[in-house]
Amino acid sequence: MPSICLMDYEPIVGLQTLEELYLLAEGLKGKRVKMVNSTAVGGGVAEILHRLVPLLNELGIQTQWEVIKGGEDFFVVTKKIHNALHGEPISFPTMMKEIFLEVGRENLSGTDLDQDMIVIHDPQPIVYIEAKDRTHAKWAWRCHIDISHPDEEVWNFLKGYVEQFDAALFSSPRFSKELPIPQFLFFPSIDPLSDKNRDLEPEFIDRVLEQFQIPRDKPIVTQVSRFDRLKDPLGVIQAYRMAKRYIDCRLVLAGGGASDDPEGETVLSEARNEAEGDPDIHILLLPPTSSLEINALQRASTIILQKSIREGFGLTVSEALWKKKPVIGSAVGGIPAQIIPKFTGALVYSIEGAAYQIRYLLSHPEIAKKLGEYGHEFVKEEFLITRNLRRYLLLFHVLSHPGERIIFL
Amino acid sequence: MQGNPFYFYTSSNLVELTGEKANTLEELVTLLRRCTGSAIFYHVFQSYRERHFAIERYHSDFSQWISASLDEEALAERLGALDVRDYTSLRALRESIIAIVEDHFRKYPQSGYRQGKTPFFFCQSVSVVMPTHYVAWNLEDFCQIIGKIGIRSIHYHLIEARLRLGIHTNDFSHWFRDSLRKERVAQRIEGIDIYLHTLEEIRKIILQHIEEEMKS
Repeated sequence: MPSICLMDYEPIVGLQTLEELYLLAEGLKGKRVKMVNSTAVGGGVAEILHRLVPLLNELGIQTQWEVIKGGEDFFVVTKKIHNALHGEPISFPTMMKEIFLEVGRENLSGTDLDQDMIVIHDPQPIVYIEAKDRTHAKWAWRCHIDISHPDEEVWNFLKGYVEQFDAALFSSPRFSKELPIPQFLFFPSIDPLSDKNRDLEPEFIDRVLEQFQIPRDKPIVTQVSRFDRLKDPLGVIQAYRMAKRYIDCRLVLAGGGASDDPEGETVLSEARNEAEGDPDIHILLLPPTSSLEINALQRASTIILQKSIREGFGLTVSEALWKKKPVIGSAVGGIPAQIIPKFTGALVYSIEGAAYQIRYLLSHPEIAKKLGEYGHEFVKEEFLITRNLRRYLLLFHVLSHPGERIIFL
Repeated sequence: MQGNPFYFYTSSNLVELTGEKANTLEELVTLLRRCTGSAIFYHVFQSYRERHFAIERYHSDFSQWISASLDEEALAERLGALDVRDYTSLRALRESIIAIVEDHFRKYPQSGYRQGKTPFFFCQSVSVVMPTHYVAWNLEDFCQIIGKIGIRSIHYHLIEARLRLGIHTNDFSHWFRDSLRKERVAQRIEGIDIYLHTLEEIRKIILQHIEEEMKS
């Protein structure tokens, strides 16, 4: 990832926004912050930290990023915990708990805890909180997972740790829990300067469409997501077919297969079977290095769909809105936080609802354009990396003034 | 003429999740009674600031939810008509909101128990208020600064100020009136309809009023 400095965002968010970030950071200069997570590459959390940590350092906040290490057995356990927090019932025997705790403690033993703030991301390093008494630092648990319907046994095990933190940070009000500690709303963010989101030359977009043999003779409806039942690719095809009875269009289903998801190939082949014989459906299996191509496909689309059955936050919605595209999304996970109905997009609850909105938005391009424009502004306000940076600066002030509702600096 | 200077402040807020949610109007009223003033403040004034780029039909989160999730449009409209300029305390505002919802119950008793499409999640905020580097000593300074200051600062001085000061005005008008003795521009800024303009539009209107004052 190329080196970016805060002023590079000035043409996007404006000088006023950056000035406020500098002001907020003034009282935090010299503070030491540690971020701890479980992966340095891949996944949204690492993507955000890669940008956030240098920006915090640029503002004078000495920020370290530590990635915990573990063997295959540890990550098998943490994957099960992750799925359980998403609602999948699992058996959680003592042996799994022991592996989880032991690896966490091994990592903890070699870490420098002489910090002012420690932010633990997700459950993998949560055991670090056992060291709270050995440091004067304030501790926050940043949960990136939808824990609205967790497996009770796993949640109760983790809850004992979460309650020891000074604050918990959740991506949506829907994910918050009954806890004795303050909980704050922390949306994840997209980076407008990354390959996935930066402006592209029209010629590049044309070349990508040629490469994938997608003619631009009719409106393009696109869903970008991995081939996973929870993203409902078959439901998307059905919605497209219902809409196509009234208004001609193409459908692009583009995404990768997660290496840790054995079901991916089955879902992909189901989608291909379903689409067979329809030259207007384009199913694209893309490698993980396809950020620019995905960016181009989104920019070439008339409408973006995110018809998930379950979702974490669904940042693909923000990515599409950032490109001023009208978005039709299911009312699940973090999607309702990004789509304000009739204002920044359309929220739907069924395949029929998605089909109707495709017809409606293709028939009313002015309304679709307005939704995209408002969506872009909403993303600029709430879901860009600069806003994430502001939230962390605010959090550090709030943790330094516990119990105060108005903090005067 | 030179009076006391105007120090520009700005405020940012971190949204705190209370973990409480309402699925029906009845539950909404129960939570409205016991939530903090900060929650009322957040849902009526602060979340609007984050959508400052466009005029929505309703500013208040309560009206938005009642319209979008419960389809109780008449109630949403009545709540949407509440004007911050009529209130100088959150307690009075809370009472007005509750009274309007309860009046709706009386007219339509079944409306209180209908489940919304999505729940209303109660939030509140922790505000961080800080001085900016901008100080105005006269109309010319003010005019230059208001053209470039962040919209959070405008929201803080123009909208949040009423409840902070507990009086029917805002920081800008207060300064124009008391320090610069500019009654006309003070009144004009008090008269800006904050519900029909985005904060960027409000910035332009303020600039226009001050430029006219400087010319006169």
